[in-house]
Amino acid sequence: MQKFSVCVAVVIIASFFPFSCIYGQSGYTDHNDLSVRLQDLAGEYPELASLETLDQTDGGKEIWLLSIGEGELENRPAIAVVGGISADHPIGTELALLFAEKILKNSEREDVNELLSRSAFYVFPDMNPDARAQFFDPLRYERTGNDYPVESVERDSRLGEDPYTDLNGDGMITLMRIEDPAGDWIPHPEDERVMVRASYEKRETGNYKVLAEGVDKDLYDLFNMHREGMVDFNRNFTFDYPAFTPRAGEHAVSETETRAIADFLFGAKNVFAVVGFGPADNLSEPLAYNERAASGRMVTGILEGDVPVNRLVSNKYNEITGGENGGRISGSEGDFFQWAYFHYGRFSFSTPGWHVPQISSQDERGGEQLSFLRWAEEEDLENVFVPWQQVDHPDYPDRKVEVGGIAPFVMKNPPYRFVEKTAGDHYRFLLELAKMRPVIDITNVKTESLGSDLHRITAEITNTGTFPTVTELGERVRWVQKTVVNFDPENDQELVSGKRIEVLDRIEGKSGYECSWLVRGSGTVNIRAGAESTGFKQIDINL
Amino acid sequence: MKCINIKKIYLLPLVFIMTAAFSLSSDAFGQSVDQIYKAAGTPATPKVEVHWNRYYDFGGVTEICRKLAEAHPSLATLESIGESYEGREIWLLTITNLDNKPHREKPGFWIDGNIHANEIQGTEIALYTAWYLLENYGKNEFITNLLDEKVFYIAPTINPDGRDNHMYEPNTGSSPRSGTIPLDDTGDGVAAGDPYDDLNDDGHITQMRRRTPLGQYRECPEDPRRMVRVGPGERGEFELLGLEGKDSNLDGRVNSDGIGRYDPNRDWGWNWQPDHIQRGAYHYPFALPENRAVRDFVVAHPNIAGAQTYHNMGGMILRGPGTSEDEQNMTFSDRNVYDALGELGDKLLPGYRYLVLFEDLYSVYGGQIDWFHFGRGIYTFTNELFTRYLYFYEQYEDREEAGKAPYQFDKHLLFEDAFVPWEEYDHPQFGKIEIGGFKKNFGRVHPGFLLETDAHRNMAFTLFHAYHTPQLEIHEVDVKDKGGGLKEITAVIANSRIIPTHSGIDLSRNIERPNYIALEGGEVLAGMRVLNRDLNVIEEQKTDSDVIEIDNIPGMGHVIVRWIVEGGRGYTIEVDSAKGGVVRKDF
Repeated sequence: MQKFSVCVAVVIIASFFPFSCIYGQSGYTDHNDLSVRLQDLAGEYPELASLETLDQTDGGKEIWLLSIGEGELENRPAIAVVGGISADHPIGTELALLFAEKILKNSEREDVNELLSRSAFYVFPDMNPDARAQFFDPLRYERTGNDYPVESVERDSRLGEDPYTDLNGDGMITLMRIEDPAGDWIPHPEDERVMVRASYEKRETGNYKVLAEGVDKDLYDLFNMHREGMVDFNRNFTFDYPAFTPRAGEHAVSETETRAIADFLFGAKNVFAVVGFGPADNLSEPLAYNERAASGRMVTGILEGDVPVNRLVSNKYNEITGGENGGRISGSEGDFFQWAYFHYGRFSFSTPGWHVPQISSQDERGGEQLSFLRWAEEEDLENVFVPWQQVDHPDYPDRKVEVGGIAPFVMKNPPYRFVEKTAGDHYRFLLELAKMRPVIDITNVKTESLGSDLHRITAEITNTGTFPTVTELGERVRWVQKTVVNFDPENDQELVSGKRIEVLDRIEGKSGYECSWLVRGSGTVNIRAGAESTGFKQIDINL
Repeated sequence: MKCINIKKIYLLPLVFIMTAAFSLSSDAFGQSVDQIYKAAGTPATPKVEVHWNRYYDFGGVTEICRKLAEAHPSLATLESIGESYEGREIWLLTITNLDNKPHREKPGFWIDGNIHANEIQGTEIALYTAWYLLENYGKNEFITNLLDEKVFYIAPTINPDGRDNHMYEPNTGSSPRSGTIPLDDTGDGVAAGDPYDDLNDDGHITQMRRRTPLGQYRECPEDPRRMVRVGPGERGEFELLGLEGKDSNLDGRVNSDGIGRYDPNRDWGWNWQPDHIQRGAYHYPFALPENRAVRDFVVAHPNIAGAQTYHNMGGMILRGPGTSEDEQNMTFSDRNVYDALGELGDKLLPGYRYLVLFEDLYSVYGGQIDWFHFGRGIYTFTNELFTRYLYFYEQYEDREEAGKAPYQFDKHLLFEDAFVPWEEYDHPQFGKIEIGGFKKNFGRVHPGFLLETDAHRNMAFTLFHAYHTPQLEIHEVDVKDKGGGLKEITAVIANSRIIPTHSGIDLSRNIERPNYIALEGGEVLAGMRVLNRDLNVIEEQKTDSDVIEIDNIPGMGHVIVRWIVEGGRGYTIEVDSAKGGVVRKDF
């Protein structure tokens, strides 16, 4: 009953409160608008785009997949473009959606047209729609858990007992600081809006406790650990899975969202690269080789042969985007980015797509927040900081409690006017990436007659693309299709030497592998080479 | 007399149909009930007759499950917990006294078999257990108490597609291990492109040999069916060409790409690793529909406190961990529980040894046993059924002796029923060869006459395990009048079995909710855990003090709780434990 009345109050307050239109979130696309725009695209470009829903989330929202390309796609090198990986980062969804819109709107352009007829794009714009909805909710907070009703992190079988409470009625969950001689937080010496931990070495004395804004309904020590959304898409994959930690799920790939995309991708043998718009970054800065992590049974570091590809792609990325979109992390436990490489075996690229320009500071504490506030001032952004304001808190009746801090989402998602530029950059980057796809050709075909109807056929199976046919890691992965060479003589021809079926390990870009066969008898020989992720090439040779 | 005869004739066609495999009739396979003299420990006149010296296909398993549930409506229910890849039901029997309290309020015990398709006898052992429990209820005191207090969840086969494939398609005793999803084993882009070929059309994939003066093998002088390698410097008469088949996809290898070849026991949600690290893993944990059905059931039944899975072979009673990484997570208290159970298993199962999976067998990531233990906090054993020891009750140290034993056993005890004699065959690729060898129903599964014995012994081990799931009782309630209308109520809650309500791993990962001990009646002013009653070491629970939360009630141990209460005359204490069940006491 109490919870109900709080919720009603929040809705009423939020609908009048100016912060509810905090930089407009105008521009950002909620799930309904996203659905409409995707349906429009599929309707407008029926020859080039098809829309399907992979499943429905526990919150009843569709998990969309827009497949882009002309004709049958399954035997064409494809890039999976994934947004909404981290639901507190809705710009990821925008970048994926805008990519789809741009490539289709430009489909008449010659280079785009060429790509659409020879490669394919699978666009998954919104992988965690339940959680992303919080961005558009009257009560806004950075939520990453979906609507799966798992037990709370304390696993005490009491569901969702302690959601956030909007104490100051501004429609946002920020921070709460409580004056306390036993607290170990202080305002930052360079910007007192930002709270940081007191430094023992600097002999600072803390005077605040800092918690997330809320009421501890069941009086445990953990504040606001229980949230209605429970499993984070980007913590639920099998690589480095953080079992029994908050928002990781019952086990790896336990969720509708993770299973939906994994099932699709395992079935899509033509995907050679995965590009995610999420927290991880290996584009502004490529992954470094670490021999120890890359060796042994349990590989946790990029393999040496895959490093040059990452460097090449990263150079291209920085050339196009100006190198300003650097992220912070190269992967996190159970995330999608690392899974796509380490377990799915494909080239995996990820970028947040936008980040706050960093400034240097004397005092390293709170650096990101300081950078953000400085940048927000330069750009004249409003309503990004909620000034500390005293509230009456039921759990601390005789104490000074203030609510305030940086507004949710604003550090990871810029005002919409910034999205347009970065979306254009990422669209161009994805086109360039598709142009680098592996392509199998059969070249330098030679037939020699050795007399008495005996022929030697020599051919080079060539990768004319820039990317290798598969990742070095992919050579080990059962679900990665390597190049297959099928040699089919006619029935009355005898294959004297050479293989009818040969599976080739990775072929580097712009290089080839020579095959030769000895055939007795005249007639037509058929050679087919390739894989779904490189395309197939077929030739007939008349002997 | 005459009248009876007429009735019998009239019923004959029906009886005949019903007794085709097993029957509900009072006739036990042709002998009438009054001719039977009971052997100790075996139900003499069961409601459902089943032969325990043969194997049943999926249809047969289904039929036995149905008959058991129909014949024992107050003790058993049958449900399908999901469907296999090919659409067969994953059957589950719930067995308990269904009338005394809801089965979810009793400690549960899980049994499954046949996760590996060729390891078929786990199914019969699980079915034997179900049958034995049902047929002994009300007749044997131990079994009756067990079904009054505990609930058994028995899934006889969790790989029904693979089971029928093993029985009806050409296979060896080792194939298939997986279910029947066709996968590409050779990387040529074609799934299941080169399966076994049953050249002589006998349903068994045996060996191929070819006479050649360059051979390395000859017939064993004692038993010419057996091929032995010649010594150094010797020439034999035969070469071995591998398992029966041909190179169907023309890739230069025989039988290179059969159905499946994934491992359903590398598909579970604890410490899962992909195929390139743990061979056999599928896409991600519980990607296989059969395992997902089990997972969903187990997650929905937190009362499961113990579990047994059946494999073959080797005579092993295995516990986790499956990998060395988890050795640090196997707590001292959990190890003690396993040792107490496993060491009795050693005694009940001659020829079997109690072992640790990763140490004594091999390392397994994503194994079922580890998900049950580390993911759900359930004490679980995997028994590797059948061992060569059962041939002649001998352990073989010597390889040669071990090699001979199955031939001697087949010759003298099975009268060569288990062997396909070598016969000539004209092979399209190898020319004139001979095909022969042991049938797929020999080597890994029990010969008929040994099956019931081993079923019973394995069952006895699981019943001991199930008996020792937590048994909670409200041992003592003490009410003290504190004056001024206040009462102090102290309750001692005891667990009279070996298994705690929360395993060590459960406690360290907070897998299951705590036990709730609730007082009803009167107004609870304060509630507390009494850590030491004599020295008055007390820990107050400040919120929800009428329901005291207790992390664990240890095996063979007890906990003490106390309330200060105002008012009330009659009181009820309810102990609600996920794995220990629900017990109540009024006072």
